[in-house]
Amino acid sequence: MPRTSRRATSAIAHPDLWLASLARYLRSWWYMVHLGAVAIVTAFSPSTWRRESFKATAFHIHTSTWQVLPWFALASSLVSLVIIRIVLVTAKSYGLSQFALEMVVRVLVLELIPLSAALFVALRAGMAFDASALGLARAGLNPVAASNEALRRLRRDLVPQLIANAIAVLSLAMVTSIVVLVLAYVNVYGLSIWGLPDYTRTVGRVFAPTVTAGFVIKTVLFGLAVALIPTAAILELQRYPRRMASTVQPGALRLLFVLIVIEAASLTLKYI
Amino acid sequence: MADNTHHSMTDPSPDPAADEPKHVEAKAAILLVLIGVLVCAFVLYVMYARGVFEPTQRLTLVADDSSGVIPGMDMTFAGFPIGRVAQVDLADDGKVNISVDVQSKDAKWLRTSSVFTLESSIVGETRLRAYTGVLTDAPLPPNSTRTVLRGDATAEIPRIVATARALLENLETMTASESDINASLANLSAVTGRMSGRYGVLGGALGGDAEAQKLMEALDRVNALLGKADQRVFGKAGVMDDTQAAIRQLDVVLKDASNTLKKVDAVLVEAQAVGANTREATEDLSALRGEVDASLRKVNRLVEEINRKWPFARTPQEIKLP
Repeated sequence: MPRTSRRATSAIAHPDLWLASLARYLRSWWYMVHLGAVAIVTAFSPSTWRRESFKATAFHIHTSTWQVLPWFALASSLVSLVIIRIVLVTAKSYGLSQFALEMVVRVLVLELIPLSAALFVALRAGMAFDASALGLARAGLNPVAASNEALRRLRRDLVPQLIANAIAVLSLAMVTSIVVLVLAYVNVYGLSIWGLPDYTRTVGRVFAPTVTAGFVIKTVLFGLAVALIPTAAILELQRYPRRMASTVQPGALRLLFVLIVIEAASLTLKYI
Repeated sequence: MADNTHHSMTDPSPDPAADEPKHVEAKAAILLVLIGVLVCAFVLYVMYARGVFEPTQRLTLVADDSSGVIPGMDMTFAGFPIGRVAQVDLADDGKVNISVDVQSKDAKWLRTSSVFTLESSIVGETRLRAYTGVLTDAPLPPNSTRTVLRGDATAEIPRIVATARALLENLETMTASESDINASLANLSAVTGRMSGRYGVLGGALGGDAEAQKLMEALDRVNALLGKADQRVFGKAGVMDDTQAAIRQLDVVLKDASNTLKKVDAVLVEAQAVGANTREATEDLSALRGEVDASLRKVNRLVEEINRKWPFARTPQEIKLP
């Protein structure tokens, strides 16, 4: 930690190093994008899909989705229920209850749930991945050997991991969205089926083609970001073993930044 | 942790199945299928909600201003959504064409006489509504074009505020302490005060009880006068009785005159007969007789006329219309 901070201050203090640090910064981003491209290409090439890849993918899906889905759905349903109640009660007190349902669907289903699903998967799967890679890196091997071994393992695990994380984000977002849609219906109309046509029209109005496409693309991008950024950060760490002393999870800040950028871009495209 | 990784490093391709739970692949497959079904169901539901599967007919509404109209908004009839805005575009003539997809099952509510309005309220979205007064008119054919009436609550606000201000100023002028209305009300109050006095409305109209009293006295006197006049004219030995007696006497006099003249006539006939030979000598008598005859006829006519007149008529006179 002290070493990295000294390096950072020295880089800022010496203008002749600015260019070099900028280049390293850009190279780091490029590395991440390149790794993502390689992973996607590998995922779509038939030679990847051997028996053991299937098994590894299934294992990762089991870890990142199957184990957490019920608890995540339950927790986010509870939080959503609270938010739905708040929105409904507030809207009713202002006499705007006809807009409450639309607002609930827009805020919860389109924005909050995908974001929380992405953050949850990032915390859960990304950290698990980091732990194993960091353990590997700290195992006391010489840097070159550790790096080679890590790359080999990552190659074997990278694509299944990416797919599993992307699927995890999609699944959590999808299941919770549907649960929240049902909760919103029950909250607004009660347990009667006669609100269905009205509700269906509201949902249809919210999910315009562009909004739906934006929702799907955003969720997929969240999945990619969550799958890719921590992995790329770890792999890069193998190349710069001196940074390994840092206790900050590699890639966490960058992941947060990318998630916020994706969310902001989607909001901008939708409402501006 | 370090031991684990050590172990995995020594074995370049560790079997992930060693520490994995049972039926991992089956669970993953179930999950994938479930998610796939959910996604497909959701997409189908959204498509259904957006009316992709419903047969529709197109209706084009022409408006001056498209503000507030967005594709996807509903057109309602009696509060029920029956159509959806599909497209909003600017035509070559500068008008806004709003294309509405009306569900075929609800198209029966739209008739050739239907009216379409576009209302924007202060809070909330713009509303597109259809009104059908006569449901027995011919149905609206597909691909019709109709003009939409625009009612904009927010556009009315400045005008309403201006009118309200003028109204308030007028009201202020009217309610000021020296205003005409106040003066009128004060007068009214004085008048009604007088009206509630002894002589009521008379006092109010004449300006005081004293005046009203004078009027009452004058009226009393007129009443007394009328009573006396009645007695003098129509009472016993009144003017009318005298007049009737006089007229009766006149009748008698005239009858006597008539008889006298008849006698004169007879005398004259006698005289004529007596003096037949002396006709030449009495040439003047003939003329005299003609004159007497004429006088007699006049008197006769006069008598008849008087007889015909009330109160001497023997039979009730019929009223003859000219």
